[in-house]
Amino acid sequence: MRRPLLGALLIGVTLLSGCYRIAQTPAVKGASKPATPTLAVTRGDGKTLRVFIWSEYIDPDIVAAFEKANGVKVLLDTYESNEAMLAKLQGGGSEYDIAVPSNYVIQTMVRAGLLQPLRKALLPNLKNIGPGFLNASYDPGNTYSVPYQYAATGLAFNTSRYTPPTASWNLIFGPQDTLKFILLDDPREVVGAALKFLGFSANTTDVAQLRAARDLLRHTVAKRGFQGFDGGPGTRNKLLAKQIDLGQIYVGDLLIATEEDEHVQVQLPQEGTTISMDTLVVLKRSPNPELAHRFINDILEAEVGAAISNYTYYATPNAAAQPLLDDFLREVPALNPPAAWLTNGKLDFIGELPSGRPQRLYDRIWTELKSR
Amino acid sequence: MKRTHPALSAWAWLVYAFLYLPIVVVIVFSFNDSRFGATWAGFTTKWYGNLFARADVREAVAHTLEIALLSTVLSTLLGTLVGLGLWRYTIRFRTGLTFLLVMPIVMPDVVMGVSLLMFYAFVRGLLERAGWTFDNGFWTVLLAHVTFQISYVALTVRSRLAGYGRDLEEAARDLGATGLKSFLHVVLPLATPGVLAGALLAFTLSLDDFVVTYFTSGSGFRTLPVLIYTNVKRGITPDINALSALLVLVTVVAIITANALLRPRRSVP
Repeated sequence: MRRPLLGALLIGVTLLSGCYRIAQTPAVKGASKPATPTLAVTRGDGKTLRVFIWSEYIDPDIVAAFEKANGVKVLLDTYESNEAMLAKLQGGGSEYDIAVPSNYVIQTMVRAGLLQPLRKALLPNLKNIGPGFLNASYDPGNTYSVPYQYAATGLAFNTSRYTPPTASWNLIFGPQDTLKFILLDDPREVVGAALKFLGFSANTTDVAQLRAARDLLRHTVAKRGFQGFDGGPGTRNKLLAKQIDLGQIYVGDLLIATEEDEHVQVQLPQEGTTISMDTLVVLKRSPNPELAHRFINDILEAEVGAAISNYTYYATPNAAAQPLLDDFLREVPALNPPAAWLTNGKLDFIGELPSGRPQRLYDRIWTELKSR
Repeated sequence: MKRTHPALSAWAWLVYAFLYLPIVVVIVFSFNDSRFGATWAGFTTKWYGNLFARADVREAVAHTLEIALLSTVLSTLLGTLVGLGLWRYTIRFRTGLTFLLVMPIVMPDVVMGVSLLMFYAFVRGLLERAGWTFDNGFWTVLLAHVTFQISYVALTVRSRLAGYGRDLEEAARDLGATGLKSFLHVVLPLATPGVLAGALLAFTLSLDDFVVTYFTSGSGFRTLPVLIYTNVKRGITPDINALSALLVLVTVVAIITANALLRPRRSVP
């Protein structure tokens, strides 16, 4: 009676270990065996750099070159939202050296005691950063952060389906009712776009302005053409498949699709738009702070900054890297807004909201839109 | 033989289509010559080549299987013991114990993930005072998985045995079997289907767990679900489709082989 059962168990285990071995073999053959699990790790051996970063956000060749030049190993771990990254770090997760938060989470991280002040003496290449991107309001004096990559939020379309007369938020928030469009699945971006259309700041705390934005958005999501909220990849795919007319999207997420179809385009709306900067920070518990600084300084090199942008299709704040960018990235208007836009209020960095009433208002607008 | 009503078989086909169409789509698109997979851009096998060139995917697959196999063995051993104990003995805090077993099943994964993360940080803090430290990775993920798997195994084993009284075991003892013998020849065979079901459940749960693994894994240690999910922000590349197609293939081959090998005996527990 028991035999067949035992046989089944054995076969199962053998098969499983079989596929396990298939999966395992190439890994062993590969040049470097990945971090073997060890219980005791020497803190700060100066040989391993741990970077917590968005996926597909750094050119693997750059990482490999840094590893080779310095004789170190760089471990990349990825996250898919600022919130997930924060939760893991605040819970006392692994001992990362570097993280890549968006500008509006930096102060939250400072208050949570997660960051250490940067040692400027170790970052001589900071001089390469364009003056407009230093000493920003989200981190005065660049005490904790160095700008890494940024992208504005634009309006995307596929010219083989629909070409807008001008890039304007009016196409989405105006009277037209038939264009099919998607909004970004992000409260600050959606409310921010409505505020820009109305001529206000995307970081406003004025209750009357927020009410106006709420009424506008209520009306907008009730339109026949509204196709829902989505992230960058979803909107990009629907544009490539010519299923929608317009999509609100991070410029970098769309531009990468031009490799496949030159008819997809993205433009910055004339009323202005939101922008967010991803930054490099060194964590307070970093086991190898010197190595972390060396890595950041390496990224600030002109060639490296350009290579990363050429890979990600995001814009670089590195002024010295500009001439080294691919022609396409240097010329496409959506990545190169007029310089005046950064100072005249057309481009608003999404800023941290004061906690309390304003934050609750943004939350409430978003909840209402999503639960419609 | 009774003929099946055509509406019923149509319904059955619909159910199967609902279950399997998404998988078919994934497999078809693994041969699509488009990086974004929005439209059909021609046939290609390049994603399979890409897949085998990707060290991170290979590592993730290896880690996933290491964790799944080892945690299943550990949790099946521990969970079976708990299940047997709950069935066999009248313990003082039995209801309390059962409640504690059900908790990890009912509790949202996020709560479990974050609390384990904080627990590990706390233990690390204690160890650091003694000059020791550890990094989140293989061991922390393994322990986390065993933690939630034990409940599933224990509950399946216990419910398998719930219909039986202690009389069978007592009868064996009356007929002269020792305690060990009556356990090996009477109790264990009764429990085995439950043990196997629990083990399979545990294995599957470990294989596709994201939330708990995300929080308890550390630098450089990623499993497949973590790798895939953290790529959502910038879009999943078609080599992941190729990987899914291969996983489906391996599973199908394994099931067919197991069936073929088991058929001649015909005795099914």
